[in-house]
Amino acid sequence: MDTNNKKTEKRLLVEFKKIKKVFTTETVETRALDNINLTIEQGEYLSITGPSGCGKSTLLSLLGLLDTSSEGDYYLAGHQVANLSRDERAKIRNKEIGFIFQAFNLISDLTVAENIELPLSYRDDISKQERNTMVRESLKKVDMLHRENHFPSQLSGGQQQRVAIARAISGNPSIILADEPTGNLDSKNAQRIMALLDELHHEGATICMVTHDPRSATRAQRMIEVFDGKIVLDQSTDKLSAIAV
Amino acid sequence: MSFSLDIKYAARLLFKKPLFTLLTVMIVAIGLGLTLYTYSLLNHLIFSPLTLNNQKPVIAIEAEFDYDNMRRPAADPIDLFRVKSELDLFDGFGIYSGGGTALISGSGKDSAARKFNSTFAQWNIFQFAGVQPILGRGLQPEDHFEGAEPVIVLGYKAWKSAFSADKDIIGTMIRVEAKATRVIGVMPEGFAFPAMAETWQPISYKNLAPTERQPIYGGVFAYARLKDGVNFKQLEKELANLNQKIVQTLPEVMKFRANSTGGYLKAYDYKKVYVLQHYPIFISMFVVVFLILLLACINISNLLLARVNERLKEIAIRIALGVPRARLLMQMLWESIFICGVGGFLALLIAGWGLELSNGVFEQMFAVNQQQPFWWQVSLDSEAIVVLILAILIMIVFTGLWPALRAMSGDFNAILRDGTRGAISKKSLRMNKVIVVTEVFLSCTVLVIATILLSTTYSAGQADYGVDTEQRLTAQIELPFKSYPVNRRSAMEAEQHKKRLDFFSNLKNKLEQLPNVNAVAFMRSLPGTGGGTKYVEIEGREAMTLTENPSWNIDMVAIDSWEALGIKLIAGRDFDYRDNSRRPTTSIISESLAKKYFPEGDAIGKRTRTVGIGYDLPWQTIVGIVSDVTHGSAMDVASAKNTAYVVQMGGMRRMTIAIHYLGSETMARKSLQDTISSIDGDVAAYHIQSYDALIGQPMILLSAVSKLFLFCGVMAVLLAASGIYAVSANSIIQRTQEIGVRRALGATDAKVMSLFMGQASAQLTLGLLIGLTLSFGAINIMTDTMIISHTSYAIGLIGMPLLVMFMVLLATYIPTRKIVLMEPSNALHHD
Repeated sequence: MDTNNKKTEKRLLVEFKKIKKVFTTETVETRALDNINLTIEQGEYLSITGPSGCGKSTLLSLLGLLDTSSEGDYYLAGHQVANLSRDERAKIRNKEIGFIFQAFNLISDLTVAENIELPLSYRDDISKQERNTMVRESLKKVDMLHRENHFPSQLSGGQQQRVAIARAISGNPSIILADEPTGNLDSKNAQRIMALLDELHHEGATICMVTHDPRSATRAQRMIEVFDGKIVLDQSTDKLSAIAV
Repeated sequence: MSFSLDIKYAARLLFKKPLFTLLTVMIVAIGLGLTLYTYSLLNHLIFSPLTLNNQKPVIAIEAEFDYDNMRRPAADPIDLFRVKSELDLFDGFGIYSGGGTALISGSGKDSAARKFNSTFAQWNIFQFAGVQPILGRGLQPEDHFEGAEPVIVLGYKAWKSAFSADKDIIGTMIRVEAKATRVIGVMPEGFAFPAMAETWQPISYKNLAPTERQPIYGGVFAYARLKDGVNFKQLEKELANLNQKIVQTLPEVMKFRANSTGGYLKAYDYKKVYVLQHYPIFISMFVVVFLILLLACINISNLLLARVNERLKEIAIRIALGVPRARLLMQMLWESIFICGVGGFLALLIAGWGLELSNGVFEQMFAVNQQQPFWWQVSLDSEAIVVLILAILIMIVFTGLWPALRAMSGDFNAILRDGTRGAISKKSLRMNKVIVVTEVFLSCTVLVIATILLSTTYSAGQADYGVDTEQRLTAQIELPFKSYPVNRRSAMEAEQHKKRLDFFSNLKNKLEQLPNVNAVAFMRSLPGTGGGTKYVEIEGREAMTLTENPSWNIDMVAIDSWEALGIKLIAGRDFDYRDNSRRPTTSIISESLAKKYFPEGDAIGKRTRTVGIGYDLPWQTIVGIVSDVTHGSAMDVASAKNTAYVVQMGGMRRMTIAIHYLGSETMARKSLQDTISSIDGDVAAYHIQSYDALIGQPMILLSAVSKLFLFCGVMAVLLAASGIYAVSANSIIQRTQEIGVRRALGATDAKVMSLFMGQASAQLTLGLLIGLTLSFGAINIMTDTMIISHTSYAIGLIGMPLLVMFMVLLATYIPTRKIVLMEPSNALHHD
């Protein structure tokens, strides 16, 4: 990650314009996101909160190109990505986005190192040697190098999530999307994961995190609250703290 | 614990999806039905020992089965006498010479001879079997003595059909093989020991207490029971040791008794010797059916597993509500109990129906030759029912318990918390791979064996034997030994030969003068029957060792027999009166034989002679070449296309006749019977049947087996297709989240597809390798007794693996593609 550049030249990384997402079943039409306008700058640390079913995970899925919007425009690093083909979206996910899931989603029959190498192996421009180096660097960052040959089932939940973070950062993505990263962890491990995200942010990473936990949410620079598919609050956490005081 | 709610719930689930229920019940019914049928069939025919009225099994001791000629060679009586005297292992031992016929006429001179299966046996045969005559007495030691009055014990059928169940028959004289013989007993209905006997006469005393080797090709067989504490392995071991000693003492002219590997005397399970020629097919059938049952089990398991996967949330809720583990397990087992129970009941009906059909096939098989062993009557017995119940229980455990345990090992917390089941575990992933590989190799093996057998039996049924069979009637003509004896190397021999020859010539002439008879042929074995080969030397090309000489079939034929069979004389001359000889010096060979061994076209005039241990035959000059025919069944390894014919009618007491008739077959039959009676009433014509029936007769069992294999093959394709799809689809669906993760990490559709297709290909390759190895093993056993055509090999070994390959790849492509087309977010949250 080119952290120095990202620290000094803040640029617009994500831009949602009038994004709508509608789920339709035989009888019901559910508006999960309704006219969402959102921008995220490079290097920002953003948390998305809201009650269950408010649309925050859908928002994260759209941000991560895991799903497509029903309406609206999505610019990532200045490029319109809403209407790209499936393979083009896959390439962008691979290069520009790092995912951290609540359930870790490590592949059980791959070792720790292989799990981290997996997104890198989908790229044609990285040699095997480079991949190895990148894997080791990522593992070092999350302090899991000593477990590189273990299988996920041999790790604790906290360790699995650290591996998932290593996988997310291994390809130097433009943005890290974390969906309830501490949801499956005890408080001690949750603290450690949050600290790791803080560290990544300090190093210049752009992080967008969905969370239920107010303490985790306030660790971000900026907090967005979603309610019934709309952004009802978008403020810096410093201001929120001041209000709370 | 109240199960009513659980049973009600299971029933509701089954009725909710009637197609699923019907499918699973039918899979169980067919899998179990085939297994039960095959088990019952093979149990009756082979596996359950013949005990008669005793606890101990009967065993057979005889010369090793001759696979080259597909026959049971008899042993020299002196050798079996040594077995009895030197091995202190037996609790009952007797000998018999079997497979013969008795031409029985009433006491009146005008009564026509009728043919019955005869056995010359040791006097203890009835005591050994634990069955006594219903009239009169059995055989006694004195009946064997030299000069004793000829006596006969009639079987129930002979008594009833030839003597109208005359209760005063005991003591009366009848003509057996034209010899006056006293009836001393009548056996009860159904008794036919050693196997298909219809009459019993005392075997010669020379056979009972032999003092020297008999310079003849005949011989005897033995039945025995082992003493308490002696097992079959022990007998085999001691018999093998004695066999070595006996083989070493065989004089040069008797070396033919031992086979090339030094094998001679051997002990068999009694029933097995009657199926040795079909044994590989029966075993293949058993293997195929067992594999089908395994396939069925795996398929049901997978269907139930897929269903359990659909119910994971419900199971999670039950666990959260505190259901005891055993209760939950039982709840999930009810469905399996119902499916296997109903399927098992239907299996019973299917097996019973199959066995009824089999009895029909046996009747058809033996309708003409009456060679049906008495235990070849199959039915469902209590043992089969026990096997069925055990199979149902095992199936319930296999199909119900396994999915239930797998379902219960899931992360229910995750399911209840966020609706997803979490990523599939490494263990489950491995298990899925094992199941796919198992399904592939089972399907491959079943399909390869089934199609090869099916194709082979079909090809044999369609084979061209090189003869015209339309409007042809065939029969065995047998001369009674008493009226037509031949005393070899005696002064009378030439005269005796002439008498036999005169009978056959007379019969041919008289028949050919009838308006409804076009032509008549005599052969020892007509094309389509017989077969087997002998080593032959070609003059000037004699090999140093016997087995390096060429070998071909040699058959006896009457002069002027080609036309009646539609065989063409291609070169040279036909046989004529000059060729009639006690020791033939001329031969006519088949076209393929001429081309193979005389490629320069110079066969005519060349001399050949049959060689082998014990043979002392003159050189025979080839005088003609005829069109090719096949002797033996087209799929029998003992069948032969290369045949040399010689004229040796005078030496034959039994010949096969083929009549090319005009008009109806019934009239032709009558003409044959009337003509024989007009020449000699003691001569019998039996096994009268059309030529097509004669050729088809050895194929009846194979044709029935091939129909079973066709059914198995169709079932295997259906089970394999549905099973492979279900297993692959289920295994891939369980990896939906993994696909979601891979796509979230940037894998393109093509990368995911190629990954899954690659993994499927690896599993496919492994499965096919195991399946083809097993198939090769089974085919190797089958080729001991069957000729497998190139087409059959191609269909089985290339066509079937390709079919399995297609099924696996399709079964991988469709579900993977379906998941790949989902949005990654949906795949990640797939429930």
